[in-house]
Amino acid sequence: MTRPYPAALAAWRGAAPAPAVASPLPVPALLERFHPDRQHSAMVTLAVGSSAGQPCRAELAALLQADALVEDVDIAGAPVLEADVLVIGGGGAGCVAALTAARAGARVLLATKLRLGDSNTVMAEGGIQAAIGAEDSLQRHFEDTLRAGHFVADKALVAALVSDGPAAIRWLIQEGMSFDLAPGSDRMGGQLLRRKPGGATAARLLSYRDFTGLEMMRALREATLLQPGITLLDRHPALELLTDDRGRCAGAVLHDLAQGRPVLARAGATLLATGGAGRLHAAGFPTSNHYGATADGLVLAYRAGAALRDMDSLQYHPTGIAWPPHMTGALVSEAARASGAALVNGLGARFVDELATRDVVAAAILREIAEGRGIGRDGVEGVFLDTPGLEAREPGILAQRLVTLTHLAGRAGFDAAQEPFLVRPTLHYQNGGVAIDAAGRTAVPGLLCAGEVTGGLHGRNRMMGNALLELVVFGRRGGQAAAEDARGERPRSIGLNHLAEWRRGLIAQGLPLTRRTPILFPPYGNFDATADRGRAA
Amino acid sequence: MTEPGSEAPPEIAFTFDGQPIRARAGATLLQAWIAAGLPLTENVGCMGQGVCGACRVLVRRPGERLAGTALACEMQAEAGMQVSFVDHFPARRAHAYDLHALTDSWTALEQIDRVFPEARHCRHCGGCDHACPKGIAVQRMVTLAAEGQAFAAAALFDHCVLCNLCVAACPEHIDPAHLGQFVRRMTAALTLRPADLIARLREIEQGGQPIDPEAPGANPAAAPSP
Repeated sequence: MTRPYPAALAAWRGAAPAPAVASPLPVPALLERFHPDRQHSAMVTLAVGSSAGQPCRAELAALLQADALVEDVDIAGAPVLEADVLVIGGGGAGCVAALTAARAGARVLLATKLRLGDSNTVMAEGGIQAAIGAEDSLQRHFEDTLRAGHFVADKALVAALVSDGPAAIRWLIQEGMSFDLAPGSDRMGGQLLRRKPGGATAARLLSYRDFTGLEMMRALREATLLQPGITLLDRHPALELLTDDRGRCAGAVLHDLAQGRPVLARAGATLLATGGAGRLHAAGFPTSNHYGATADGLVLAYRAGAALRDMDSLQYHPTGIAWPPHMTGALVSEAARASGAALVNGLGARFVDELATRDVVAAAILREIAEGRGIGRDGVEGVFLDTPGLEAREPGILAQRLVTLTHLAGRAGFDAAQEPFLVRPTLHYQNGGVAIDAAGRTAVPGLLCAGEVTGGLHGRNRMMGNALLELVVFGRRGGQAAAEDARGERPRSIGLNHLAEWRRGLIAQGLPLTRRTPILFPPYGNFDATADRGRAA
Repeated sequence: MTEPGSEAPPEIAFTFDGQPIRARAGATLLQAWIAAGLPLTENVGCMGQGVCGACRVLVRRPGERLAGTALACEMQAEAGMQVSFVDHFPARRAHAYDLHALTDSWTALEQIDRVFPEARHCRHCGGCDHACPKGIAVQRMVTLAAEGQAFAAAALFDHCVLCNLCVAACPEHIDPAHLGQFVRRMTAALTLRPADLIARLREIEQGGQPIDPEAPGANPAAAPSP
């Protein structure tokens, strides 16, 4: 069965450079048999809410079809904050939306669960797509994104995404973000470095070394901290949305973690930018996600009446660290494969086009492991990512362009130029989410969403580089629309108006009222929001 | 993570925020905290990538007089260590500027002086260098920035992870982390003008990049009609 590490290492050395072996399985069969989302027991059908009848990951459905953390009595007498726009989430999308809304004249409250900037954005390595090459076009970016998502994405959203791409890059530079230049290129009048992301037909991936998200978040964080009109609330996760008697969103119940008490944030428009759900560890997979990625926004939006889509589709990043175990969850950036690093199985052979879409590459790796061609080391299984082969072809590339990767190997105790990484698929992204229109509005008046919490842009598989683009494009669109919506009619008779009907729905379907969500922190965070609220009393 | 039947890894004992903790050898400080079942609602972020600067800790090993700083997601636990989280705090005073208003690069030095006047008063105590968990030459960056050597200063802050420990360490309230971002942002915003991006933006503004949602490539190839 599985090849032990020393034997696999010898096979890799003996065969280098590894020969390509065409996958005998066509893509549909490969996905059907080996992609984790296709294991049918993993899915349930939603029984309550706007998207009842749709399939959904079981782990997510358990959170979605649950009762709220708060009752009227819990928020009576809570301090009230007022704003035009409430932004929930302090990652990339939240910062962009807050900046845009504030510059449009809105008084903005930005509430974040951890600390401003703590998010998946800061961890993004590979880059951001924008069709700026002379041989590239918005149409090609549009078609590549649709094809990678298996043609189920919302075309209007994808068109908005790719059309705003070049302007989003200009906006980021204006906020002080740097980008890599093509070799020998000048800062003024030169060319940006472009690489081809997996599944693309043109070199379209722009980057800042291999910590593009960190560079972006640094600029966005400083901009947000300095922007007049934004009030920042660190350590204030949202427990529930507030609604008015017409079903309009009117803000949120926040939980002040420092004080252990609820705070009501009333707003004319509320924008959720709470990110993804990797910390639910669907199907037991390790995750590359940030600690706060616990699906809070999905839960809140769904209970308030928003529709969800593609909730049965998660993204597994092909190259998570398999060994050493203490680094589980860390990713080797797709930049490595985009630069030419091969994937090699225990027999020393390549087994997939490394630049196929992520779902295909991940399924191919899981197939190698399942069929006994994986590599076992200290009880974990994976395949090799051949960084020494890449370094041999392009000397210096690891130290100069793949800085984070080289650092990662150092922390794992080996030299990436000498030894390959042992990698395996790792839960990375939520492809689906809250359904929005091209302005970021949901079906609930006064409620908007931006970033990973939304669905529709990526279909059933997200391309590398479209997540960073999405958060800028839809952060700007959503922030602008929220500022406009806040100038309209204000919510009235504000409270937890939507909960009575929600609970009737749960009861009608025979679902228990015992589970209360969102969970805010992963189970290993050892946090109970209900108990914490008692702390202040 | 241990293989069935394999030897359990050895345990080590250390102290974290006053709690005696036993951890398996090789665990990071953050993994050890979680494995001990302690609540974790702050001082945590990227969980091991070492890019968010949230899990800042003070660490003192047995026999050491002074504590050093580290990121809890990166440093492995060692026997006898004394560790404590450094809670997040924002910079004491805002060094306010509007990047969009800084348009004249001839006056970059004056702009640095005006926004960060303390930078010229660096007393070269080295506190910031000791505090940085990423080994950045923070003090050198401050000196270069105060001299107006913006690109050189910006390059030194390439690996900053926003932990703000240098801000805590500076007795002159220079706020080196924010000064570092200021020079980085200023140099990008004032000098990065890629010709390919500018050409594409012009093309789009002139209506030259239409999107056809019904182009053959925008739909599944040879999809059988239902």
